[in-house]
Amino acid sequence: MLEIKDLHAYYGPIEALKGINLKVDEGAAVAIIGANGAGKTTLLNSISRMVKTTGSITWNGQDLTVLNATKIAKMGIMHVPSGRHVFPGLTVYENLEVGSVNWHSPLKDGDYTKDLEFIYNLFPRLEERKNQLAWSLSGGEQQMLAVGRALMGRPKILLLDEPSMGLAPVVVNELFEKIDEINQQGMTVLIVEQNSKVALHHSSYAYVIDDGKITMEGPSEELANDDRIVEAYLGKKRG
Amino acid sequence: MLYLQMAITGISMGMLYALMAMGLTLIVKAVGVLNFAHGQLFMLGAYLTWMLTYSLNLPLWGVIVCGIIVFAICGAAYMFSVYWPLRNSSWKVTVTISTLGASIALKEFVQIVWGTIPLTMKPIVNGVFHFGTVYLNYQYIFIILIGGGLMALVYILFEKTFLGKVMQATAQDRYCAELIGIPTIVSIMATYMISMVLSGTGGWLAGPLFLVSSSLGSLAQKAFAGMVLGGFGDVKGAIVGCLLIGMIESFGLIITDAYKDAIVFAVLIIVLVVRPTGIFGEKISEKA
Repeated sequence: MLEIKDLHAYYGPIEALKGINLKVDEGAAVAIIGANGAGKTTLLNSISRMVKTTGSITWNGQDLTVLNATKIAKMGIMHVPSGRHVFPGLTVYENLEVGSVNWHSPLKDGDYTKDLEFIYNLFPRLEERKNQLAWSLSGGEQQMLAVGRALMGRPKILLLDEPSMGLAPVVVNELFEKIDEINQQGMTVLIVEQNSKVALHHSSYAYVIDDGKITMEGPSEELANDDRIVEAYLGKKRG
Repeated sequence: MLYLQMAITGISMGMLYALMAMGLTLIVKAVGVLNFAHGQLFMLGAYLTWMLTYSLNLPLWGVIVCGIIVFAICGAAYMFSVYWPLRNSSWKVTVTISTLGASIALKEFVQIVWGTIPLTMKPIVNGVFHFGTVYLNYQYIFIILIGGGLMALVYILFEKTFLGKVMQATAQDRYCAELIGIPTIVSIMATYMISMVLSGTGGWLAGPLFLVSSSLGSLAQKAFAGMVLGGFGDVKGAIVGCLLIGMIESFGLIITDAYKDAIVFAVLIIVLVVRPTGIFGEKISEKA
């Protein structure tokens, strides 16, 4: 269980997070929605220790704030950053291969046949393109590769930062269906999204973040029907 | 036949530059820093192998084995002293400036330890290779063989081994590499170690041709020129560029002896005017 209490994050004098409290239960799919600049990415970067924070972040009771990014990954907390961070000069296969470094030494290869099989089943397109350099993939494929590579690290929780960014609606739906599938197999998922509609549809519980604070929370279905959310984030007024 | 002789000399000089340029390029790719002390690392390599050979009286294989170990340690030490403490500095040029400082420190260090008088070093095999009317110092042939062998090893390391992939990944996207659990400190350290082994070996090979002195470091200028000529930031380009520089230098002797360095840099300027990205300077186009 991931638990965050009174989390503050700073970029120099700017306070990006102003006291966040949230909880992600094991096996859950939790969404955090909010506008640009609300602090969503900062929140994930705080969990994976890429920014300095005050407050507490614990994973199954263990304090994460004392660890560094690599150790966080080794504990099974895998952050997939926004903007399709793949290794452009490596092939699809090599990208996945490198992802397995999380559970063995970088000096030697591990046995990841089963992991690969699972990922190729999930994203058949990655198998078709396994010898292609990652930069030559389409946006959606790059995002799938980023998720696949994170799965190669045998995570216990996936932190997904705006997986829908810059993708066509059809691709977004496909990707989120895959994320559902991963979640149904027992993976805990924390999704940060600007695309509130998709995020609420594919999660069980959601938080709304605005200006560094959690303004609302509740089961996703309830939030999706809440008038304030509909007006502010889903972009349509109910008649 | 004179041309063949010149070509072989040119290639072997180019090989020395390429050993430096490869290391430089690997560091540029891994941490984005141009290492201005690279010539001094090359020089340090020459002094260290001189020490192993003449102060410790090790046989050839001992020099090679100990040399590689000592170079790897030096590479790691260099990284932890010159790069690591400054890596998060808010001004990006800081590390580059610190490499400039390191180059001066290294130069002074060897002069304090080994004195200012140039030291002589025997070639691996004494004598002259004789074929028809071609007369060549054996050392030139060894440079080509050992240099080429090392390059092949580095190629295998980066393209065929898991550690190589991890190092490439770290170089391509450091932020992401940390998030997926790559201990970036290990892969950056490995890059520095390999880089130092390459230039240190270069220094060992160059020692018998020149004298072992603190001015060996100035050969790095040609390595920089080769890097730019081949296309900055590309390992293959750096090697080809350096071999070309060696050839230009060697064949430049036909025209003039005194101005051979000027010819090298004149060619460099002309190439850059015609093709500013260098020969292999096509970047991997990243999708937006």
